[in-house]
Amino acid sequence: MSPALRVVAAAVVMVFASIAIRSGFAASLNLSSQAFTPYRTCVLSGTPATTTAASDASVRQGSATSNFGTQTTNNIATQSGLNRRLYIRFDLTQCVPAIPASATVRLATLRMYLTVLPAVCRTVDVFRATASWTEAAITWNNQPFGTAINNPASGSAVDTFDVGTPVGCENRTANVYNTGLVVTVDVAAFVAGTANNGWRLRGDVEGSATAYTQTWSAKDLGTASQAPQLVITYVTVP
Amino acid sequence: MVRPRSTILIAILASTGALAVAATAFAASLSMNGGSLGMAAISTPRCTAAGLGVVHNLSGLTVISVTVSNLPAGCGNATLQVTVNNQVTSSSGSAAVPAGGGSVTVTLGVAVAISAVAETDLVLIGP
Repeated sequence: MSPALRVVAAAVVMVFASIAIRSGFAASLNLSSQAFTPYRTCVLSGTPATTTAASDASVRQGSATSNFGTQTTNNIATQSGLNRRLYIRFDLTQCVPAIPASATVRLATLRMYLTVLPAVCRTVDVFRATASWTEAAITWNNQPFGTAINNPASGSAVDTFDVGTPVGCENRTANVYNTGLVVTVDVAAFVAGTANNGWRLRGDVEGSATAYTQTWSAKDLGTASQAPQLVITYVTVP
Repeated sequence: MVRPRSTILIAILASTGALAVAATAFAASLSMNGGSLGMAAISTPRCTAAGLGVVHNLSGLTVISVTVSNLPAGCGNATLQVTVNNQVTSSSGSAAVPAGGGSVTVTLGVAVAISAVAETDLVLIGP
């Protein structure tokens, strides 16, 4: 091949290479210019009953030294001397893939399958548990918040929701998952490194003269379609 | 007229140089739009930054569909892609978001067994 032809051939190769490079950049540009909204969700469920992803146990004032961690139902009750509270926790470290500490939690909802509700609309308070507890050992007497009634104050609850059959009550139907139980702020704190001791739920007004009871299916019921759940929706890029 | 070889060579080199400049110009345009691929990812437009509700709908002991709620009107007509992965099986589906937003139920291609831990990825493409 003559020198002139070699130069021409080289130039042609450069032209094609140049076009290829430009096409590659253009493809990337087109892809990134499209609206693209990614979310990731970790759903932790109390199923099967032996899972360690979830822990739940009610404590009963009337049986102050007994543990009810293996009961098939979770209860909250308000009645003088017979109050009941619910402790529940989900192990976020079991999420696969792991939720990065830098992730932004967009929404976290606690879902519990409601089976028994009172004939009046009652408010339930949700508090972040500030001390550790275990499903197999927690009792009324050793619960993280102590045994004092209506403690901590309702005003420090992270969320509240209503349960009862009257029209207008937030959760008024049995045998469905409750709604309105949002724990985004707490889960964001857990993801960022705050100790995760779960939550304590209690009646907004404990010690009532009349008994009011709410019941949910517990992990130990072993029914997957009624298992307590924590649904965490997050993004890794704000 | 027959041009000398040197003239041809100069013409070819000039053309090549011009193409190189053109290629550089394209790269510069890309920088202006995205700066870099990483920057482009951050500035990618999104139809929402809201928290989306996710509920797994069951049939027996399997997840057959996923209902996604809290979708704002700004995501109307987008395509919602959902993938559920229980660490054993991964299954996907997609559906269009209603024009006014709201909620949409996406049926999975294959039912996924219920498990204690399930990852659910959501991707809204468009609108």
